[in-house]
Amino acid sequence: MRILVAMSGGVDSSVVAGLLKSQGHEVIGVTMKLWEGPNGEMPETGCCTAADSEDARKVAAKLDIPYYVLDYTASFSENVIDNFIDMYAKGLTPNPCVECNRSVKFDHFIEQAKKLNCDKVATGHYAKIVTKDENYELHKADYLEKDQSYVLHMLTSKALQKIMFPLGTISKPEVRQIAASLGLKTAFKKDSQDICFVGKKDYRQFVGTRINVNIKGNIVDKNENIYGQHNGIHEFTVGQRRGIPGGQGEPKYVTKIDVNNSKVYIGNKKDLTTKKFLLDDVSFVNQPEYSNLSIQTRYNSFDIPCEIKELDTGTFEVELIEPTFGVAPGQFGVIYQGTKLIGGGRISSKVLEEINE
Amino acid sequence: MVNEEYFYLDHAATTPMRDSAFEAYRFAETEAFANSSGGHTLSRKAKNLLEDSREIVAKYFGAAPNEITFTSGGTEADNWVIKSSFQSKITDNSELITTSIEHEAVLASAEWVRENDYIVHFVSSDINGVINTQELLNKVNENTKVVSVMYANNETGIVQPIKTIAEQVKKINPNILFHSDVVQAVATEKIDFHKLGIDSAAISGHKIGAPKGIGVMFLSSKFKLPSFLHGGKQELERRAGTVNVSGVAGLAAAVSELEKNISNEKKRIEYERNSFEDKLNLEIDVKIIGKDVPRLSHISNIQFKNINSETLMIALDLKGMGVSRGSACASGAQKPSHVLKAMNISEDVINNHLRFSFGWTTKDGDGLKAADMVISSVMELS
Repeated sequence: MRILVAMSGGVDSSVVAGLLKSQGHEVIGVTMKLWEGPNGEMPETGCCTAADSEDARKVAAKLDIPYYVLDYTASFSENVIDNFIDMYAKGLTPNPCVECNRSVKFDHFIEQAKKLNCDKVATGHYAKIVTKDENYELHKADYLEKDQSYVLHMLTSKALQKIMFPLGTISKPEVRQIAASLGLKTAFKKDSQDICFVGKKDYRQFVGTRINVNIKGNIVDKNENIYGQHNGIHEFTVGQRRGIPGGQGEPKYVTKIDVNNSKVYIGNKKDLTTKKFLLDDVSFVNQPEYSNLSIQTRYNSFDIPCEIKELDTGTFEVELIEPTFGVAPGQFGVIYQGTKLIGGGRISSKVLEEINE
Repeated sequence: MVNEEYFYLDHAATTPMRDSAFEAYRFAETEAFANSSGGHTLSRKAKNLLEDSREIVAKYFGAAPNEITFTSGGTEADNWVIKSSFQSKITDNSELITTSIEHEAVLASAEWVRENDYIVHFVSSDINGVINTQELLNKVNENTKVVSVMYANNETGIVQPIKTIAEQVKKINPNILFHSDVVQAVATEKIDFHKLGIDSAAISGHKIGAPKGIGVMFLSSKFKLPSFLHGGKQELERRAGTVNVSGVAGLAAAVSELEKNISNEKKRIEYERNSFEDKLNLEIDVKIIGKDVPRLSHISNIQFKNINSETLMIALDLKGMGVSRGSACASGAQKPSHVLKAMNISEDVINNHLRFSFGWTTKDGDGLKAADMVISSVMELS
């Protein structure tokens, strides 16, 4: 097969390219350039730095495969960065990496593969594609510690037909071992965690430079007692402790953000408890399923048993069997049945307001 | 050679070294490798080779030998002329005029001048890629110190009316230093600097089959510029650093070959370029940039209908043909071209352009062969 491999310059995608090549496939490596500074400079941290694309190029040279850098900065800026800023301005907690997968990476990548007569695309994500009858299912990776199916929840069975996740059955230590045995220089490279366009800087600073959100306001409790002042709601997300005046006895958390009145509500941990919330823009890998479900409300969080009910097209109510803390509007709720990913959607801002009151 | 099967149509980016240049380079490195500034027999041998080479290069371009200074390439020559004319701390009200379609070496040097608070004018281009002469002349005044206009653009091959512009500029202010980046042009044009009426020029060896890392700054004897690199007293005390004699020898060999062959070479290249364009025009939906204005013989900038050139470039590479878009950034990602932007090419087609550039290695039949490969790739992508 001719396979287009997304190479970030990290060890995972390097190994994917190496494995597929050693299986006899015709592999083409591609780095997607998503973000650049005002003078065209590549980001310094995150998943696609200048040094990373240099690493990807070196790996491609070592593997003797063609390698290209494709420019998707316009699409990324429009779909991910604008959304990131918009979400903070609305008092929500964005997840730019999911947004990027959802609206930039896979669409462009699969389209590019089609144009270049590739049979499949492959990435270094830890997730598993299982074929059952006519359907392609998305499952958690065997190596649960690294499972990344959460950030891939928007992929449908149709898209999965074109995708390979060769690391779904391999552990991270094995990946490093394979990289070392292939002589790849990325074998012992650290994993990246930063948001590529924010880097090591504080995201608050980044948002602050992009829009005028620095409207001061009050920090209040649910009875409107004033605890202090803040410099802009974009500095807060639901569940956060940082930036709240101390000396309140019990630790306080942000429980709600009132954008219109620039007010940040705080409360005790128990005030953050949620049992029911809404998911918007819900998509399913295959048909929806309703039995033995659980949900993750953040990347790499626990599976919480739940039930779902369709309220409107694309909008579902989620009821947790046990209440949980810190369900943040703007993040994604991803629904599983065992290891099988059923679907997911964005946690609605109506979450802690109407339903729980 | 492994690359023999690969179809190279990116001569505007760089060319392979001519055999004669390679031979001269090799000879210099073995027989005349000594430091040309030294005092012994071998140094003299190197110095003699250097000065013989300088004469060959000077003669070809209609210049005097002492008007030719060897540099590391075209970029250094452009930087030297423009930046040395304006000191880093602003001391007077000198002005610089250049154009929005220049090579990055000139554009970035002009930006440097502007950052030092001098007035810099970037003259616009019309939709045909020819700069607006009247707009340029309107900017010329008694403070204008340097005017820099490229002879021909490296992305489109479109030639500027340098002789006319230089003449008219000098009429307004005869003290102006008129610089021209001729890096791309000299591949297929024979240029006499003094007849052209320019005072300085930048040349790069590797665009004409000479080694990389060697270039020329031509500066008319009427002008003097401060040194750009400081150190030893080489090159008539103009440029410090041990002279790259082997590069110079390679350059002189390439220039000698041009002296003998340029008209035949140009004819062959132009024939292949034209048959390439004619065939594309006949069989697929393309627009040839600069077709109706004076243009270099070796460059073909093609706009493809509904085809993203990033994808087409990859498809061609996978088939074994190397071409390019505008200028590549460090990461290898290709950005929309500033030249095409300056020509007001609309946003929705600006990413549909590829540059095919022929060169001294171009053989009979290459034009049609290239057209066939491009047509089949375009068909597959449509």
